[in-house]
Amino acid sequence: MTALPATNDAGRPSVPAGRVVRLLVLLAILGGIAWLAVKNMGAEQATEQLFNALTRGAIYALIALGYTMVYGIIELINFAHGDMFMVGAFVSLTFLGQILGLEGAVTNIPLLIALLAATFLVTMAILALVGVTIERYAYKPLRNAPRLAPLITAIGVSFILQNLVQLVYGPYQTNSPKIFPDTWVIQVGSATVPVLSLFIIGVAVVLMIGLQLFIGRTRLGRAMRSTAADRDAAALMGVNINRTIAITFLIGSALAGAAGVVNGLQYGVARFDDGFQAGLKAFTAAVLGGIGNTVGAALGGFIIGFIEVGATAMGYTRWGPAIVFGVLVIVLVFRPAGLLGQQLGERA
Amino acid sequence: MKYARVGAVVAAAAIVVAACGGATGGAKPLKIGISLPLSGSSLASAGPADKGARLAIKDFTLPGYTITADVKDHAVNGVHDPQQGAKDMTAFAADPAIVGVVGPFNSSVAKVQIPISNEAGLLQCSPANTNPDLTKGDAGKQLRAKQPDKINYVRVATTDDIQGPAVAQYGFNKLGLKKVAIIDDTETYGKGIADAFAAEWTKLGGQVVGREGAPKGTTDYTAILTKFKDAAPDAVFYGGVTATGGGLVRKQMPQVGLDKIAYLGGDGIQDGPGSVEGSFINIAGAAAANSFSSVAAIAEYPGKADFDAKYKAAYNEEAGAYSASGYACAQILLQAIKTAASKGDVTRESVRAAGVDTNTTFETVLGPVKFDAVGDTNQKIISLYKTDLTAASGKGDWVFDSQVDYK
Repeated sequence: MTALPATNDAGRPSVPAGRVVRLLVLLAILGGIAWLAVKNMGAEQATEQLFNALTRGAIYALIALGYTMVYGIIELINFAHGDMFMVGAFVSLTFLGQILGLEGAVTNIPLLIALLAATFLVTMAILALVGVTIERYAYKPLRNAPRLAPLITAIGVSFILQNLVQLVYGPYQTNSPKIFPDTWVIQVGSATVPVLSLFIIGVAVVLMIGLQLFIGRTRLGRAMRSTAADRDAAALMGVNINRTIAITFLIGSALAGAAGVVNGLQYGVARFDDGFQAGLKAFTAAVLGGIGNTVGAALGGFIIGFIEVGATAMGYTRWGPAIVFGVLVIVLVFRPAGLLGQQLGERA
Repeated sequence: MKYARVGAVVAAAAIVVAACGGATGGAKPLKIGISLPLSGSSLASAGPADKGARLAIKDFTLPGYTITADVKDHAVNGVHDPQQGAKDMTAFAADPAIVGVVGPFNSSVAKVQIPISNEAGLLQCSPANTNPDLTKGDAGKQLRAKQPDKINYVRVATTDDIQGPAVAQYGFNKLGLKKVAIIDDTETYGKGIADAFAAEWTKLGGQVVGREGAPKGTTDYTAILTKFKDAAPDAVFYGGVTATGGGLVRKQMPQVGLDKIAYLGGDGIQDGPGSVEGSFINIAGAAAANSFSSVAAIAEYPGKADFDAKYKAAYNEEAGAYSASGYACAQILLQAIKTAASKGDVTRESVRAAGVDTNTTFETVLGPVKFDAVGDTNQKIISLYKTDLTAASGKGDWVFDSQVDYK
């Protein structure tokens, strides 16, 4: 299992010719879907639903990245990762609501930017800390244990996180201050698009590009890739395995924290069990895109966002989850390693 | 001084009893059981029903009989407890002086009590149960399995299954809404109330311009609401409870530009003022304005002012939401006893037969009440509440708007 994008010796992503053809086919399919959507529901709704799908997909994608990175490096399906997202949502609402005492929208633009920056920083930092702590005490002692042991531990960590949050915040939905004003919209043709959607999509894209650059261009990124490819060989070459794995958890958890912040801004509530659904979708996204592959995870997140919103737009909301898993089954039949995953020989 | 007064009262009572006894040759003692959750957090809602029932029993006289109340509390750790409710009902059934029972308050308790009271042939009247399965259909028959043809359970509250249609009538007739989009939580209660609402809405001539279901755990309703917006509805109806999405849907409506329209729901979204953590008004916040919800209970009745005054005189406190219902239940049992007495001996069976007679009209504080073949009231009244965000000192609360007499 490689993790992280295929690269050549210079550390740059390489682009095989076959991939270009596949990309063109994908674009053609997307074009066809877009044409059908506009024809069926009109340009206005199609545009609005497009941004709904991108917003939802961005949140799934941010969570999926953490799943895929951890799997890529230690082949652990970190079932507690969805709950890390939920914890991120609660850290952000505690920071904004209880510590800063905010309730509604902030319309002063410089203040809003400062608040958003502070929220992202605080939440991502705390989540990074929590993620590294969990790795240190829950997973690291089991690194050489049979693979089921860390898997079960992950489920246990998931329960611990859920119950801790339930203990503190209660079993009901808790309000998260929607500091980003709902009333800010821009007109795209006849469609109304909330600025918040653009902001969320922007945050996700920036974080994803940053992650790609980090993995592809830095020493630490190279250490992560080499650890993923062959941990023993990497250790022999002087890579500090423990630190590299800790950093993987740190980044994955920080991204889950960012997803928690945007989730709070967009939906304005959080509940202790929010991580379950979101985690399931994000895990599906990671598998769909090819688990271990960061670009694939992001792609998978957006695809699931599109499928769900598309199902709703066509009037099949009740069938949304069934369609998502149907697509997953079809993809795995033809590409067992996921859309961008690489076919590898036997691995234990 | 205090004891002297009590002593005087006892002496006077003894004289009265003795006088009556002298006139009729020994008054027969009868008891009416009251089975309600009366401690902890249950007391606030069920306590007034108990006081109402006891007031009715105290007010009532029937020559030849002395009727007293026997109160049993089935709250355990402050919450209604079906097991304790069952024990209490068994105790009532074993006491030959008990000829009728007022209670219970919660449908879950009724579910375990009805088989016991049915076997004993003991007339029972609930002031508050609204679950349709307690009386209707196969579920109701199952509860009465011991004596299927002897109906023994009646109630003065109407059933939940008419909430949906009643909200439809209210929205269409009173609010003048024409086009509605419906979303439910795909669960038994939520989909049920949404289906019933949709059927009634179409029957009235209204248009259903959207129908979606999203299960519990859904956080993103923007796609569904964007789709609804295209059809320009006058209102959105939500079938479900706050915890399965009732608050979130309303909260997200402004995001897609649907904040100006009305929002309708059943009692699933009526869960207290905005100060209650996780309640509909708490979650939806400012978006909760112009929302309506229903409760299967009577809020206004002709003799309300008189009853409230009488209750206050007796207990020196305001009547609660279920005071009159408790009073009415006791009135029904007492009238059944009176009918039984006029026909001969007062036994459990004669009281039960009189109490469930479908031709009898019971004169109660809530107005005339008749029961159908399974013991449900003909007063099919649903109360509608509207959000008022200035109520509850600015936290927002549900305030009574009007009631619909469902036909």
